[in-house]
Amino acid sequence: MQKMAPSLLMVALSMGISACNSSESQDEKVVINKNPYPSTYHPLASQPTLIRHATVLTGTGKRLDNADVLMEQGKIVQVGTNLSASQAQVVEAEGKWLTPGIIDVHSHLGVYPSPSAESHADVNEATQPNSSEVWAEHSIWPQDPGFHQARAGGITTLQILPGSANLFGGRGVTLRNVPSPTMQGMKFPEAPYGLKMACGENPKRVYGGKKIAPSTRMGNMAGYRMAWAEAVEYKRAWDKYETDYAAGKNPEVPTRDIELDTLKGVLDGEILIHNHCYKAEEMAMMIDLGKEFGYHSGTFHHAIEAYKIADKLAENGNCAAMWPDWWGFKMEAYDMVQENVAIVDAQKNSCAVVHSDSATTIQRLNQEVGKVMYRANEHGFDIKPQHAITWITANAAKSLGIADKTGSLEPGKNADLVLWNDNPFSVYAQAEQVFVDGAKVYDRFDEKYQAQSDFMLGQR
Amino acid sequence: MTLFKSSVIALALTCATPAFADSLAITNATVHTVTEQGVLTQATVVIEDGKIIAINPETVMADNIIDAMGKNLTPGLIGSFNHLGLVEVSAVSSTRDAGDKDADITFDASAAFNPFSSLIPYSRKGGITTNLVVPYGGDKMFKGQAFIANLTGELDSIVERNAAVIVELGAKRKGSRALEIQQLRNKLEDVQKALAKAAEKSDNKDDEKTAKEPKRDEKIINALLAGETPLIAYAERATDIMALLALKKDFALDLVIYGAGDAIRVVNQLAEAKVPVIIGAIENLPNFDALQVSLESAAQLVNAGVTVIFSVRGDTHNLYQLRYDAGIAVANGMNKTQALAAITANAADAFDLNAGRIAIGKRADLVLWSGDPFELSTQVEKMWIEGIEYSTDSRQDALRKRYTAEADLPRAYVK
Repeated sequence: MQKMAPSLLMVALSMGISACNSSESQDEKVVINKNPYPSTYHPLASQPTLIRHATVLTGTGKRLDNADVLMEQGKIVQVGTNLSASQAQVVEAEGKWLTPGIIDVHSHLGVYPSPSAESHADVNEATQPNSSEVWAEHSIWPQDPGFHQARAGGITTLQILPGSANLFGGRGVTLRNVPSPTMQGMKFPEAPYGLKMACGENPKRVYGGKKIAPSTRMGNMAGYRMAWAEAVEYKRAWDKYETDYAAGKNPEVPTRDIELDTLKGVLDGEILIHNHCYKAEEMAMMIDLGKEFGYHSGTFHHAIEAYKIADKLAENGNCAAMWPDWWGFKMEAYDMVQENVAIVDAQKNSCAVVHSDSATTIQRLNQEVGKVMYRANEHGFDIKPQHAITWITANAAKSLGIADKTGSLEPGKNADLVLWNDNPFSVYAQAEQVFVDGAKVYDRFDEKYQAQSDFMLGQR
Repeated sequence: MTLFKSSVIALALTCATPAFADSLAITNATVHTVTEQGVLTQATVVIEDGKIIAINPETVMADNIIDAMGKNLTPGLIGSFNHLGLVEVSAVSSTRDAGDKDADITFDASAAFNPFSSLIPYSRKGGITTNLVVPYGGDKMFKGQAFIANLTGELDSIVERNAAVIVELGAKRKGSRALEIQQLRNKLEDVQKALAKAAEKSDNKDDEKTAKEPKRDEKIINALLAGETPLIAYAERATDIMALLALKKDFALDLVIYGAGDAIRVVNQLAEAKVPVIIGAIENLPNFDALQVSLESAAQLVNAGVTVIFSVRGDTHNLYQLRYDAGIAVANGMNKTQALAAITANAADAFDLNAGRIAIGKRADLVLWSGDPFELSTQVEKMWIEGIEYSTDSRQDALRKRYTAEADLPRAYVK
């Protein structure tokens, strides 16, 4: 009751004020719909399932040998040993490994689909350096056969990002890796949007080549700063509208700007930054750019040089999403070390993530992690599988703002998991069964659970 | 006296080529011969003058003896169809020498090969000792000629020039694939006719003066028609592969097909024609030329009798992954012997290299592994190219050391 009191007071006050300015009655309040293309995802049908006697990597840093996981109604119910559940179907998993569902924070499935075709290359709105107004979800072709190949590799969640041609590429969207004829049927409920930004060579090459700004790295920075300065003004205008309206005034509605809506979403803390940014010095500046305009600089993707500033990234709470070994395709990718992820990870409060950016590599993110773990351990690190798995599960979930829902095998979390025939960090490992929200979405030995894209159907 | 004489010769040789000075025996190895001998356990391999001179001799005589402690010894792996040494940083045009818009069948990119490329020591981490380097050519159908280089990183690392002619068929951005297949056939026919005519004329002494020296490009095609040089044709679709098989038959070409995503549709024809295919083992996303390509394709091809060679497709910088790709092929139905052959002996046979197997007389390109050569957890422990040991230390290791070292001064002082 006490809680109610102030809001009642507010209503009274605002009524009072509007009564005072009765000549200026309030127009209907303008509210921007922040979710105009909502998720229509529903988990597939599931039944209570007990997976028994597996080697379980929980995603919380633990390894449980000969352990069981029970899932019911789409959630993890129990993780432990000697579990029983009379109603549950039982999967005997002796000799097999169980991990959380794999999350790829950087994918272009659906926007750069297979077959690679001009008519489907919808990843880059490379027509102006700031394209914050575009949303990757509006480009996604859900029939991309790559989604199915990725599922067979244990991918249960993935973020689809627009491309890196622009300073601001647009919004990314997080999907559940389930078949659906619509993007919205895959959309991860309540996952925050991401804003793709890109440092370095790509924007300056794309626009410099067209003889428009940016054509240099300093041009890149200028472009970001001008956009954020504008966004700060835009946010101020809307905040003022909100405050004035709440105060009973009838303020003028700021002009709606779809581009600035996205940047404002970042400033409001609702949209997370996903920044294609390879080089140490540029990541450092992007951190300060965020501080200059009042937002958090989020996750650095393709962070080839993250190892050079691992301490800075950890201090500032940035995730770094990295490859184990991609390099040499451009100057900003020249200083690769195979232990990058491990060096970043070694810092206290770090957030090391392994990502793919590839329709091929996404099928084997587990092996990508393995490469890092073994190379690092050859050079003085002591990384165990139960820790390494967090780079593609818990840390990836944190990067996407969905760590409360997925990324680890803990009671209450979504039952997203992968049953592997072997140690997932072996070159011979294969996902045998994949579950999303407790429902089996892939089974290597049962065609019933091997979905096929419309595109592949009936092809010879 | 005779004995004395021969050791003097040996000494003289030693001075001339110090690299080959010492003989080496690797004992107690699990030797993957990639020959009919299969896998030999607790075996000994003896190397002298860059060649394998003995396997399991009755007594081991060598200047140096290494106990392999049961670990796996394989032939050095052979990379195929990439731009190693021709491209340092893909997006930096001044470091790219694999193509030229004017490149044609005579284009020999080996003159641009850089043995000091940072990709070479890094590729050795994958156990690669030899590589077939191809140009990506220019606007013409013929992209130029391939060459073979070893991965010593030394100035003399080119083993063979003019190792193959590269032609690109199949899907085109502009125009029709049909035209190129016709043009290829026409070209071969024209040169064949010219050859026949020249032979006729040389029989007739009166015409000797008018007999023309063949042009440079004709000489290269002559070598193709004589079966002296392999033709490596890029093609994915089954119909393109069939067109190539017809060309092979009509012109007796030594044909190798690269790409071959759709090869599973024509396995029997490929096997019958004894045409090897160079494929990416992990290609499994559909394109309109290869809708059914899958991770099982490699096993299906081999089991039908097709000779398969693996290539790491795309950028050359991760050539080192070749062994992992072989492992993935094993996880998808190939056996380990077949997979090892696909990155050693099969390439050696297709490109006529005296390597790729552990057998007497073969070049001593060898790799000793810490475990299963295909596994992610395994690393190269030692490797030899022509009997000389090379390290896998690369620029990447120097960077790691710098940024993991304790340092009072800025890291730029850590060397």
